[in-house]
Amino acid sequence: MSDEKPYRRLETQALLQQIAFRHGLEAMNASEEGNLAWVTSGFPVEIPFAMNVFPTYPEQAGAIIGAQKIGPEVCGYAEDMGYTQELCSYAMVSIGSTDRPDDVPMGSLPTPQALLACNNICGTVLKWYDGISQMTGAPVYLLDTPPLEGDQTPHHREYVRSGVERLVEFLSTTFQTSLEEERFREVSELSSKAIHLWTSALKECQKSPSPLNCADRFLTMAPVVSSRGTEHCVEFYEALLEEVQDRAKQGIGAVREEKVRLLWDNIPPWFALRFFNKLAAKGVVFPADTYTHAWSGAVEGTDTRSILDAIVDIYSNVYLNKGLDAKVDKMCQLIKDFDLDAFVMFSVRSCKRYSLGQYVSKEIVTERTGIPGVVIEGDMVDSRLFNEAQIETRIEALLEMVT
Amino acid sequence: MTSGEVSEQSERLLKQLSESGQRLIGYFYPHIPLELLMAHDFMPVLVWADSTVSGAYEGSLQTFACSFARNIFSQRVRDQLSVLSGFIFPGNTCDSLQNVGDIWRVRFPNDIFFRLTYPAGGAGRAAVKFLAEELRILSKGIELKLGTGFSREELRRSADFVGRFRWAVQFIYAARLINPDVVSYSELAKAVRGFLSVPSLDSLATAEALLSKVQKDMDAQGHTDSVEKLSASLLERKIETPITPEETDSPRIVVLGGMVEPTDIAQLMESTPGGSDSAIVFDMLSFGFKTVFTDPLSLDGDPFEEMARATLKAHLEPTQEGLQKRLDFLKGMLSNLSIDGVIVCEQSFCDPDQFEAPSLENSVTDSGIPALRLPMDPEMSDKSRLSLRVQSFLETLASG
Repeated sequence: MSDEKPYRRLETQALLQQIAFRHGLEAMNASEEGNLAWVTSGFPVEIPFAMNVFPTYPEQAGAIIGAQKIGPEVCGYAEDMGYTQELCSYAMVSIGSTDRPDDVPMGSLPTPQALLACNNICGTVLKWYDGISQMTGAPVYLLDTPPLEGDQTPHHREYVRSGVERLVEFLSTTFQTSLEEERFREVSELSSKAIHLWTSALKECQKSPSPLNCADRFLTMAPVVSSRGTEHCVEFYEALLEEVQDRAKQGIGAVREEKVRLLWDNIPPWFALRFFNKLAAKGVVFPADTYTHAWSGAVEGTDTRSILDAIVDIYSNVYLNKGLDAKVDKMCQLIKDFDLDAFVMFSVRSCKRYSLGQYVSKEIVTERTGIPGVVIEGDMVDSRLFNEAQIETRIEALLEMVT
Repeated sequence: MTSGEVSEQSERLLKQLSESGQRLIGYFYPHIPLELLMAHDFMPVLVWADSTVSGAYEGSLQTFACSFARNIFSQRVRDQLSVLSGFIFPGNTCDSLQNVGDIWRVRFPNDIFFRLTYPAGGAGRAAVKFLAEELRILSKGIELKLGTGFSREELRRSADFVGRFRWAVQFIYAARLINPDVVSYSELAKAVRGFLSVPSLDSLATAEALLSKVQKDMDAQGHTDSVEKLSASLLERKIETPITPEETDSPRIVVLGGMVEPTDIAQLMESTPGGSDSAIVFDMLSFGFKTVFTDPLSLDGDPFEEMARATLKAHLEPTQEGLQKRLDFLKGMLSNLSIDGVIVCEQSFCDPDQFEAPSLENSVTDSGIPALRLPMDPEMSDKSRLSLRVQSFLETLASG
């Protein structure tokens, strides 16, 4: 019997640890110097980066806590403070680890001087950051990007634009800094480059065998979330794209024997990424997912005004800020472009914005594409809500339909 | 009368109105300018959670959707809302209602559906402009889909009509802070519910009859000036002057929370051994204080901007504005209104309620006042346990 694993590990993945380590150090320094902001994952970080305010991500810290399998314990710290288990587990571990940082060495973040939330990913972020603000004293700035019903209307654009301008004022006042055009252009170009490289790597997965699996993408998306706008982020994605293109050219798949191609919908269970590796042993690969494909556009412009306009456009139009129709369209498009056989929707108890509507989407996507799907239930950080045996049974049933 | 019986009564009334030709439009989020809907010759009907409805959402919604959203969705599945010509869903208020709106459109494609999206975060003038435009779009949508245009004359009439109701209940709210025995919380909650369910001349008359009684009593007790001043302070969200309330037998309790039904709270308090709903001297609930303490609509400027301004000046929900604003208001209330205890209600699976509850509780207890957290759902499915917890809380207050 061969010891060979059914999946191939990316060489570039080794660089991730360096980036994560560097990011952690920079965040600590920024906090000590009074320049650290916590930001939500859909926040236009090009602005704080350009204003020399260092952004760091509680959601990413939540993913790390999840991957360490200490989610239930750290959620419990927040529960001890009176928060209910029903709330978002990213928020729960963020609150828990802020309250007891010494008990969460790999997942607590340095003390912020400001909390920058953008509600284009959910409405929870304001309440979550309000809670953190109470604990740390850092002020909250909410960039309000109301969910879009269809195309962005002029009044929506104007409103978000005013929010972006107030953000610049807020950062100027809070951190005694300013937005300089040259630096802003430089940061936005770097951000744009990183996003182009990342989306090019994702596109390579249209090929069969797919050079990347779900877990590869969930891990390698970290820098584009946390460090877009920096040189080292671009360097990472240059290396990743090279490796992915090389795999694609040589017909090397992420899974050794690719047999079934599935779509993943929603945030992954960070504590159970091996779930994807177990499926790899059955020849199952996930060439696309809605989570890492959330980056649909790059911040491009020639001057401050046009870059701000691009920010208004891109950050209003992120996947989770659109209605059910747009989500269904995106899934159908991914199924078509990536030639997928079926889809798996992870109903994440924590994330109402992402998950409510999946029962309906499942029916429509199947109707439009003719392929079957399954809804499995759990959470991204809190493993108490993840019934692996039940999930495996459901996936088995799905696989029987497509093989 | 239980809230289930109140629901049945409203349903009957709405059916009669519909049969007599009155056009009805439903809404779910209380911060909506009623005047706008009336200016289109519609009667705006607040869709309440129905405590008698059991789950009928399972094929469309996960169990972790907020219990209020599940309840209203179940009502629609059971065809209980057929008298309504259209539905207005809120946008950008909470993730459950946001997504349930989308699901509703798919499951009930023949329903006339509108979305009114609110700004969040207190962006001042920009927020007013945004909401004004949203209201303008809603107005055009109503005209297009339901066939009746916006009438300035009707707007003037409705501004007066709604203004009279609000003024009446604002006065009663303030009067109860000075003397909670002047009228029970249950009567006040029913008057508010009656008007928001069916804003007719009859429901206005009920509120105004209650007002007359309260005015008379307050006048006799020499409190009229104090009540008017307090009502104005509540409207401005600034409680800076201590009041001297009348002595009562019951402790003075404030109820905090979101889209929890005030009549259910009143009933819970009444049915608890040793409890009396006079003990509830004030609420900060979405379907109570937060809705009725809205500025009167000014008719001077652009009507949509004026409606937006009045709506956003009211005491908003947790997802629309930062926590600190509400904590400051609460602090003013606890310092100046002789409050003995606070009940913090949490609707199950309601993110805004549940996120805010620990901060509210801490703020109350830091002021040296006991607080009780009360998780619940619209069906009051665990009523005996809730009652037991309230009873124990009342005993704590009595022994303190």
